Amino acid sequence: MTPAEQLKQNSVTLASATQPQDGLTARRSEALDKLRLLPFPEKKQEAWKYTGLNALTAGQLERAAPALDADADIASSIPSLGDCVIVIGNGALTGQLPALPKGLSVTPLSAESINDAPPDTFFGWLNTASLSDGLLLKTEPNVKVPGIVHLVFFNQAQTPCHTTNRLQVELAEGSELTIIEHYLGSGPVLTNALTHVQAGANSRLVHYRLQSESADSLHIGNLQIDQQRDSRVDSSQLMRGNVLRRNDVHVRMLESGAELTMRGVFIARDTSHIDNHINVEHVAPHCHSDQVYKGIAGENGRAVFNGRIHIHQYAKGSDAGLSNNNMLLSNEAEIDSKPELEIYNDDVKCAHGTTIGQMDAGQLFYLRSRGIDEASAKRMLGTGFVNETLHAMQDEAVREWATEWLGEAL
Amino acid sequence: MSTEAEIDKLVRREYAAGFTTSVESETLPPGLDESVIRHISSRKGEPEWLLEWRLAAYQKWLKMTPPQWAHIHHPPIDFNEVSYFSAPKSMADRPQSLDEVDPELLRTYEKLGIPLHEQAALAGVAVDAVFDSVSIGTTFRGKLKEAGVIFCSISEAVHEYPELIKEYLGSVVPQGDNFYAALNSAVFSDGSFVYIPKGVKCPMELSTYFRINEAKTGQFERTLIVADEGSQVSYLEGCTAPMRDENQLHAAVVELVARKDAKIKYSTVQNWYPGDEEGRGGIYNFVTKRGVAHENAHISWTQVETGSAITWKYPSVILRGDNSVGEFYSVALTRGRQQADTGTKMIHMGKNTKSTIISKGISAGRSENTYRGLVRISPRAEGARNFTQCDSLLIGDQCGAHTFPYIESRNPSATLEHEATTSKVSDDQLFLCRQRGIDTEKAVSMIVNGFCKEVFRELPMEFAVEAGKLLEVSLEGSVG
Repeated sequence: MTPAEQLKQNSVTLASATQPQDGLTARRSEALDKLRLLPFPEKKQEAWKYTGLNALTAGQLERAAPALDADADIASSIPSLGDCVIVIGNGALTGQLPALPKGLSVTPLSAESINDAPPDTFFGWLNTASLSDGLLLKTEPNVKVPGIVHLVFFNQAQTPCHTTNRLQVELAEGSELTIIEHYLGSGPVLTNALTHVQAGANSRLVHYRLQSESADSLHIGNLQIDQQRDSRVDSSQLMRGNVLRRNDVHVRMLESGAELTMRGVFIARDTSHIDNHINVEHVAPHCHSDQVYKGIAGENGRAVFNGRIHIHQYAKGSDAGLSNNNMLLSNEAEIDSKPELEIYNDDVKCAHGTTIGQMDAGQLFYLRSRGIDEASAKRMLGTGFVNETLHAMQDEAVREWATEWLGEAL
Repeated sequence: MSTEAEIDKLVRREYAAGFTTSVESETLPPGLDESVIRHISSRKGEPEWLLEWRLAAYQKWLKMTPPQWAHIHHPPIDFNEVSYFSAPKSMADRPQSLDEVDPELLRTYEKLGIPLHEQAALAGVAVDAVFDSVSIGTTFRGKLKEAGVIFCSISEAVHEYPELIKEYLGSVVPQGDNFYAALNSAVFSDGSFVYIPKGVKCPMELSTYFRINEAKTGQFERTLIVADEGSQVSYLEGCTAPMRDENQLHAAVVELVARKDAKIKYSTVQNWYPGDEEGRGGIYNFVTKRGVAHENAHISWTQVETGSAITWKYPSVILRGDNSVGEFYSVALTRGRQQADTGTKMIHMGKNTKSTIISKGISAGRSENTYRGLVRISPRAEGARNFTQCDSLLIGDQCGAHTFPYIESRNPSATLEHEATTSKVSDDQLFLCRQRGIDTEKAVSMIVNGFCKEVFRELPMEFAVEAGKLLEVSLEGSVG
């Protein structure tokens, strides 16, 4: 058995052992059947060309994370960013739900409410196959949910194990919502996160995905966003490196008039590996998408960016843009960028641009000549590089926290 | 706008180079095994080492599978239905000069606009004409010899300059490089060999014209160009084939070696038969082209791809020496049901290496046009620089235009830029032209020519004119 086959076997074992009495049994076994058919991700597959899963150990796919200690102090590690904080520890809701803002309901995922087409990836199916607790956030039609809902996924363990985080967000017609998906924790945990967003007609979502687990943990995440007519989604994804971080983001603009703004910052220092795979599909006509991603790799870090814009045959009047700028800081670091366009309609406006460069020697010299030491000067230039993206974020509290948090990594 | 009848007429416009030449040919029966390779080798009177080399390639090929990653679709190719060697009978005992060549063959090239009589030829262009599997003649050999330039078919070179062939054959594209290169290495029939000695600037443009004539044959030519220290050469390549209902295979290998301070400019105008509107017939053009640039050397690929049912081609440069330069200029036009997956690879290994990629893709009808490129900066390539621009133009809503660039950097002092845009022929531009009395067809052709200008500028003059015309003809009927 090859290592990949062994890991696949471990995943199947994990999924088979997940058997809570919660009405999702049928869904889990369907997903397990799918899982058995899929090969385990390896470098020879195009989608995993730049990311090997050698860092994964058998335990991280074989054992589910134990329940979090009741006396674990989570609260102190959560920055104050939102008005309504919901904490999920090692995959399960901790304590009682807080008081919810008007127009929002939070319930466990049920067989009826769970979306039956998760991202068609190995880890997407593994997520469903090993699911025990999932959350459904649902808005009422035509209501603007006040404040920010801060969802904290806290994953912590001493020994290698796997946690399944599942979130489903449904925005009813004409509603508005701001959420933070925040991943925290430490230890050799593999976080398998899957978030599915359905933005109803004319709805508006502001979404933040903050990934700040400690450096020894692993994260493989899937984010799927389906947009209906005239919906607007503004998504920011910020990540600092850990052993392995892989994000598959898949957006489908299913009805006309949808708008999407996505921005991301990823910083891979030391020996961390960050891989972002973005796929934006313009299925319906007259949709607009705009993406800006900034990457930095230093020391032995490796940053991968793969952004695809896919315009379907009948999606006339599509307007799509993607920009990916990267900064390479050391001889041992590596950046691989692969911006793709796949276009089947002539009435479109599409562009992408990628750059890979370094800190400008002239700018560094300018700062040094004014008495700023090298480390601070570099931090200033790095901050300047990512700030362009952060400035566009709408909520001040999040923006300020993010600027400082990312600044620490520069 | 043109009326439907007009468009219909234009769509049915014939592929001008689609005629066949009736010459008696000696063609091997379809199928591939060691005996076929031995036959090709003995027919050409090759030395033992070359036969061994071919057989080694064949062994490697047997273990390989056809690449599946490209954005192209075709039924699996039965490699035992292809005939691997075909030569006009009149070439059996090699004519000593062009005067002895079968006039029917010469007429074929005249019809294609490639006169092989030296006095009639375009001044300053020497031509090697390859017909199916053999080279039928090379012009201006005397004049080139005076300058010390070797320009002949690769079969002749094997006999006359064995040391050079032994040294360079497979040095850039090894036998087992990829599926089609391995196949070519096993059965390659003819092609051109060029050697420019130290410090010589080749006095004229060199050119090879490839013609497939026989049905059910594949063409597997091999071109090797070696530019020694400080030399310069500009090489042109053109190709056509008759119209046939079945798909024919063309799997070529081109190797370029640019030694220190040398400069090679390689231009291609590819106009293989693209198949009919329904996608029947046409050439499968699966080509491996690669050059190695040593210190301060310069390799430039320019290609205009308008033909072939399927194009699978990535002319590459390995920038091995410090300060070497690689360039890739490409126009790829697909229409009907053509599919193209083409681009380049720039592998930066030396310090201060530079590369420029300009790719223009035009898709019309129900075609698929893909740019696929790799820029790799190795850790040693201090100060490397790359600029890439890929633009696509779509004409009609049934076609596809795709861009798949791979950008890999492992050196912090390198600077890479990549940009790509996709657009259509804008209504404003069309309106402006129409308003000034230019009909739609002509206006589109003008706009497309403008879109490709950056690439045409890089072509030698005679080719630039031909390329412009070719594009015009190819586009007719795509607009309506």
